[in-house]
Amino acid sequence: MSKLPIWLRMISNAAASLVLGFLVLPILAVVPASFNKASFIALPPRNYSGVWYERFFEDVEWQTSLYNSLQVAVIATAIAVVLGTLAAIGLRRLSGRWRASITALFLAPMIVPVVVTAVALYRSALDVGLSGTIFGMSLGHMILALPFVVINVGIALRGVDDNWLKAASGLGGGSWTVFRTITLPNIVPGIVGGAIFSFITSFDEVVVAVFLAGYSNKTLPVKIWESIRLEFTPVIAVAATMMIVLAIVLFAVAQFASRSQGNSAR
Amino acid sequence: MTNTGLPLRLEAISKHYGKFLALAPTNLDVAAGEFLTLLGPSGSGKTTLLNLIAGYVEPTAGTVAIGSRDVTGLPARLRNIGMVFQNYALFPHMTVGQNIAYGLSVRGVSKAESHRRVAEVLALMQLEEYADRAIQKMSGGQQQRVALARALIIEPDVLLMDEPLSALDKQLRRNVQLELRRLHHKHGRTTIYVTHDQEEALVLSDRIAVMNDGRIHQLGSVDDIYDRPANAFVAGFIGESNLFAATVTSVSDGTAIVDVEAFRRTIRAPAAPGVEPGRPARLLLRPEHLLFNHADDGVPAEIVETVYLGELSQYGIVLENGQSLIARQITDRSIQAGTRVTLSWKPDHARVVAESSTTGGLSNA
Repeated sequence: MSKLPIWLRMISNAAASLVLGFLVLPILAVVPASFNKASFIALPPRNYSGVWYERFFEDVEWQTSLYNSLQVAVIATAIAVVLGTLAAIGLRRLSGRWRASITALFLAPMIVPVVVTAVALYRSALDVGLSGTIFGMSLGHMILALPFVVINVGIALRGVDDNWLKAASGLGGGSWTVFRTITLPNIVPGIVGGAIFSFITSFDEVVVAVFLAGYSNKTLPVKIWESIRLEFTPVIAVAATMMIVLAIVLFAVAQFASRSQGNSAR
Repeated sequence: MTNTGLPLRLEAISKHYGKFLALAPTNLDVAAGEFLTLLGPSGSGKTTLLNLIAGYVEPTAGTVAIGSRDVTGLPARLRNIGMVFQNYALFPHMTVGQNIAYGLSVRGVSKAESHRRVAEVLALMQLEEYADRAIQKMSGGQQQRVALARALIIEPDVLLMDEPLSALDKQLRRNVQLELRRLHHKHGRTTIYVTHDQEEALVLSDRIAVMNDGRIHQLGSVDDIYDRPANAFVAGFIGESNLFAATVTSVSDGTAIVDVEAFRRTIRAPAAPGVEPGRPARLLLRPEHLLFNHADDGVPAEIVETVYLGELSQYGIVLENGQSLIARQITDRSIQAGTRVTLSWKPDHARVVAESSTTGGLSNA
């Protein structure tokens, strides 16, 4: 890149900035919108105020939906991390053809259109009485989150030398001890990364949640989706801002985790 | 560190991967405290044999016994073996001290006891000041010593080493070889050492097992293997050698009479086991055993190259039929490229060996 002439570099930088701007600015627009004093969403706001934040935190329905979202995301993440880590470890032990086809199976939720997954889950959830429950939504999101854990942990596992495991077992470690003392410490960054992606996947997921949420168990995105059709107040912008902030914080953590993983591989 | 390890006995042990024969049925007895090297090119089965002893690979047939204990069905962690890996396999998330203490901590040895033994091993390895150092900050030679310390601290009955010096540069390798020998005299543990480097094997070993194609071709002392190679593979693999196709006419009392076409004459020489009329054989002449212009009936040849090595010189020679060979002699300035010489040797210095492809997979002393 640095060998390009300066004018070409300037043009390419400008083009990149434009693309980034078009992608990011509309999203960030909700932040000033959430501080508008007026009772409708407008840009730029005439007067600033935190009144809609007050409204958000006073309103039981908004609060409940935020709490539901956190609950669903935590449960989905917990299950996805455990199952995904086990899957990644199992996949590594398989050879060639089996590994490829079973990996594809685990990654399928990322490729299959979400609405298809949602319809399938809706039908099955009805059969087993999980429709409209927090746990049902958690399981649905867990399926969507699983590929991120399998991929992240799988990459981290590539940094684990088989000979470390052989050495540890030769020194007297049983398989659980070897996992706990050798494998686990070396894949923590992958697990943390997978967990964060899982959490975000669940927290901002709307399609499966719309299908599975009952009347009283709406998640935040479902609540936003419903509100936007009934009223168009800056509370929606507040909710959206909360989600953006959470996503940014979690991605920063993920970035940090993957960087320290890069260091430990050296 | 008082005991010296236990004897090791392998009986008819073999390993197939599907149809691929990694190790033909092999017997091997290693005495307590012995340093035995498995020497061979890659794919010769030496690492398979080591992994079978360690318990990382299940044998297709046969048994492994350490001392009086049959360990054939036991996993590696119950065999009380110490293993040093080719890339050391040190745990990157632990310090030097933690790496070395690993075998003790998984055995539930108390902190105080573990501390004492780590200090002891660090001293043995001259690594005292590095206990809290990160593994990545250690040099290759130091890592090698940490790996050895980690294997020795559990007081293994058998110490296994898989090409532990191959990651070091040549100069360092030389020093570490001598270091390993010194350490072996100190810890005195039964040691099985895998390498493809014959010099390493000659420096370190009490006995060497020369392997190829999943078989031990010869098991013996350094002298045995060099002076009395069992077949053409061993003769060619150990040391430098000149080998000539030979037709065996008769064998009696360990002496063979062979026709060597390259020399256009019939030669009498000591014969290795397996040499018999009708089987392909070769005549072995070591470069240092060839004499110039020493006998009236010597084989005529021409010097084509001289390499001055100091006191010695190495000579490239071509026979009249075009076959080339090498000789090593006290430097004689009168011998230069183009000089015509006659070659001879003491009858005892030649040896007739069978082609290795026909010797079968036994030859265990």
